[in-house]
Amino acid sequence: MSSVFNWIDSRFGIREPHKKFFQRPLPQNMNYSYCLGGIAFTLYLISAATGVLLAVYYVPSVDEAYKSVIRINEEVFLGWLVRSMHKWSANLLVVFIMLHALRVFVNGSYRPPRELNWVAGVFTFVLSMASGFTGYLLPWDQKAYWATVVGTSMAGTIPVAGTVVLYLVRGGPDVDGTTLIRFYSMHILILPLLMAVILWLHFHMVKRQGISGGM
Amino acid sequence: MKMRSGEMEKGRGEKSFYPEYVFEILLVVFLTIELVLVIAMLYPQIIGRQIDFQAEFQPRPEWYFLWLYQLVRYFPGRTAFIGTVLVPLAAVILLMLIPFIDKAAHGRVKATVILSALVTAFLIFTLIPALGR
Repeated sequence: MSSVFNWIDSRFGIREPHKKFFQRPLPQNMNYSYCLGGIAFTLYLISAATGVLLAVYYVPSVDEAYKSVIRINEEVFLGWLVRSMHKWSANLLVVFIMLHALRVFVNGSYRPPRELNWVAGVFTFVLSMASGFTGYLLPWDQKAYWATVVGTSMAGTIPVAGTVVLYLVRGGPDVDGTTLIRFYSMHILILPLLMAVILWLHFHMVKRQGISGGM
Repeated sequence: MKMRSGEMEKGRGEKSFYPEYVFEILLVVFLTIELVLVIAMLYPQIIGRQIDFQAEFQPRPEWYFLWLYQLVRYFPGRTAFIGTVLVPLAAVILLMLIPFIDKAAHGRVKATVILSALVTAFLIFTLIPALGR
């Protein structure tokens, strides 16, 4: 086992830099409130994993979307559970990002040199809310449709550029199949990619700057 | 809780990331998965009604967007963009500026006031529609 690892390590050189990372000392006054960010990340991974599974059966088209969600819920093995876990992990993600932000604020851990990490955290918050909004339409049911009609109509209220932005979001004047495919690609491609980049920055800064010992 | 000099660097006899914290982290990861699994089994997602394009009804967004839908009601007609764009944008920008506000004179107080105001506003405008039905 170790010879296999040595063979890999001699090519990638991963042992030394990670040794430093794994053996770094941590502030002594840490407590379980420092887990909130890790819990949020775990929830993000759960929603990513269940999202990949849902994408196997979900069909992003006007005719098939609603039927495919019914199929996931009623026919696919444990499909109902995967769908429920996706929904709940996404909801809890928003809760735990908020709790994590409050913990960071109370400890004053956003102070220099960690200001940008707070900003990155705000971005993950906005991105997860955007993921929630775009994911809401995908079941293509009554609630999803009208919530998206109301939600996207807000883009139309922007002065001057309103109509252009509304068309950009909906792909036309109304919420229809174009909107569905647009939201689908946002939800499974663009937003997760952005989230991955921001999270990499977030964790990279934690690694470089160390964990704040608080006030 | 005491912080003596040199102790942070060396960490004599203190916990380090590996192995102590890694195992605690794995425990928390396990509990998180468990939490989602249990809630998902207790409250599974139902299938919504099929779209009825004729019967427009008042949609209910996710709970974390309730504040936005409530806010929009206060700005009718041409002022709508204040509720849909200006206020949310200002809130996000204020949130991002917290570490920089903190650096000013009495910064911690200012930052605390701003964050408390944002949290309170979020709670109030979420609870009004949440309790309203």
